[in-house]
Amino acid sequence: MRHWWYGWIVGLGLVATSHAEEVIKVGVVLPFSGVYASLGGDITDGMQLALEIYGSEIAGKKIILITEDSEVKPSVGLTKTKKLVFQDKVDLLVGPVASNVAGAMRDFVHTAKIPLIIPNAGNNLLTGEKCSPWVIRTSFSNNQINGVMGPWLYAQGYRTLYLMAADYAAGRQMMDAVRRGFIGAGGEIVGEEYPPLRETKDFAPYLAKVKAIHPDALYVFFAGGLAIQFVKQYHAFGLKGEIPLTGAGWLTSPLFLPAQGAAAVGFTGALNYVPSIDSDENRSFQAAFSEKHQRTASEFTVQGFDTGRLIVEALKVTGGETDDKSALVDAIHGVRFTGPRGPFRIDPATNNVIQDIYIFQMRQVGYNIRHVVIDKIENVQDPPNGCKM
Amino acid sequence: MVKQKSSRNRNVAAAVLLLLAIVSWSQADLFGHELLAQIAILAIFAMSLDLIAGYTGLVSLGHAAFYGVGAYATAGLASVAGWPMWAVVPSAMLLSALLAAAVGLFAVRLIGVFFIMITLAIGELVHAFAFRSRTFGGDDGLGGVPRSNLDAIGINLLDPAHFSLFTVIIAVLVYLVLARVVDSPFGQVLTGIHQNELRMRALGCPIRRYKLVAFVLSALFAGLAGSLTAQHNNFVSPELLTWTTSGEALIVVIIGGIGSLVGPAAGASVFVMLSHQLSSLTDYWMFFMGLFFVIVVLFAGDGLYGLFGRLFRMLSNVGR
Repeated sequence: MRHWWYGWIVGLGLVATSHAEEVIKVGVVLPFSGVYASLGGDITDGMQLALEIYGSEIAGKKIILITEDSEVKPSVGLTKTKKLVFQDKVDLLVGPVASNVAGAMRDFVHTAKIPLIIPNAGNNLLTGEKCSPWVIRTSFSNNQINGVMGPWLYAQGYRTLYLMAADYAAGRQMMDAVRRGFIGAGGEIVGEEYPPLRETKDFAPYLAKVKAIHPDALYVFFAGGLAIQFVKQYHAFGLKGEIPLTGAGWLTSPLFLPAQGAAAVGFTGALNYVPSIDSDENRSFQAAFSEKHQRTASEFTVQGFDTGRLIVEALKVTGGETDDKSALVDAIHGVRFTGPRGPFRIDPATNNVIQDIYIFQMRQVGYNIRHVVIDKIENVQDPPNGCKM
Repeated sequence: MVKQKSSRNRNVAAAVLLLLAIVSWSQADLFGHELLAQIAILAIFAMSLDLIAGYTGLVSLGHAAFYGVGAYATAGLASVAGWPMWAVVPSAMLLSALLAAAVGLFAVRLIGVFFIMITLAIGELVHAFAFRSRTFGGDDGLGGVPRSNLDAIGINLLDPAHFSLFTVIIAVLVYLVLARVVDSPFGQVLTGIHQNELRMRALGCPIRRYKLVAFVLSALFAGLAGSLTAQHNNFVSPELLTWTTSGEALIVVIIGGIGSLVGPAAGASVFVMLSHQLSSLTDYWMFFMGLFFVIVVLFAGDGLYGLFGRLFRMLSNVGR
């Protein structure tokens, strides 16, 4: 009963060895099923576009992507990673979307010394206490996106802030970052609330508290269905004109905007990318993407795009050589370019990306609701957060 | 006589399965060893569930709680508290068993769907605790779980081949213990309770006590499987504690053949290999997996073990 898969393994092994000389294999572990399937698709589309634009052949070697579905399950993501390393003998890895899957993959790639480029998962620890010379992040850390918002809000004149996020690790980390920044600037946190993830349908009890305390602003992080419900209920509760809504920018992601509609107008958020960034790089990127896919590229697509570009640029430096992994990582550290997000480079101290953070407001522009960039914090670099390589 | 024959058949099937495992082990590449270890661990988990679901008739949807407690206890004691592994693994098993004893005191009073509901509720409780616990990393999980150190006897568990062999040996030991249990008079009482609880009670058998012991014993081995999976992945997360983990184990038990001990072990190998192969082929692999389960349940209600048993009998009748 167990031996019928040998054919497969041997077959794949033969394919792997016969091509070993001509190709550079990038193992991609992303969710293609489950709740994050659309994010996995966006990131892959972005990477493929980058390979098309910046060259998928380096020193006569073709870059090929071998994709595996993480199913957003840590154990599955880890198994797929082992499959890519042991069986497909990939030269480097890209993935995943979710921080729990990244946590499961981290120890393995660290021991196996295979470079892993994370195109989304924001857990601070991955480039903080749990950082690894082999784990590079092109997306953001939860701290990086939210850390700048505390001082910025204070500078706008807000003196009291109320925090609200779904009760899970990412929500907690984001609120920790805002709290630190806002208190550091001289502000006061007047309340915090962590509604349970998934189970929360009705925000009324939480919003009633906010209304009673009446802070200068409310700062939130929600994603997915919760983001849609929260924005609509905030509007329905009549808080919109009274207490400004601020938060991590994913709240009004283009994915949720159609469902939120006009209720989203007025939200002020921080994010590493919004489609409306006014630069040549971003305009030509969006044009190339929409020509191919007939839709607007999301922040996830951009993270995939920059990941693909980083790989291409680094491989150009090594001349397509991937055997010396630390030379490859050195090359990655040396890459600098201006992408759709603005100037992009990897911080050698933590392996986290250094990037601009955009502060935007949702505004009605004609018939459309748009992310209007109102400020930009340049070259935001995460502190080491306990990272020792 | 009947009992002896059925347990002999079971042991023969187990020997065949073990032979296949050994052949697989000798042929496998690095990734093959990863899959083999996964199969062996799932087999232990499924066999532990079979003891209560198959033999005692206590269908649990919260078995992941004991699996997860074993895994989290291993992670907590080894990587947070820094205990040596020889103390960690038995402690993890004991903690699972203790939780089962506490839960079991109430749960074994219930039957049928009520038992399913209370085990489901306990499972969700433990999941919620792990999901929100900042000590254990919440939903991000906790890494850095070490593996047992068996260098003293020449086994390096960091080597995938050694680790897979280690898990297979443990699976065999668990099988031997559980086979001994179900064949013993104690196991016969459990089967009796499963078949006719009222009659057993009328015979003066303290059925709750029997159920409780079976429940605790089952949790002990589920905890062992959890501890092994934490060592295998070097990582724990609330995923281990979701009710779908319990559901998957139940599916493995059913496709393998509920109440046959060796069936669930065979079911584990089919489940792991099939999900691995299908998910490489198509994003819609869960659909085909579901189809496979429906077919198995429709055409072989007694699972693969029953199916192979019938095939074997048919062939031997033809031969005669």
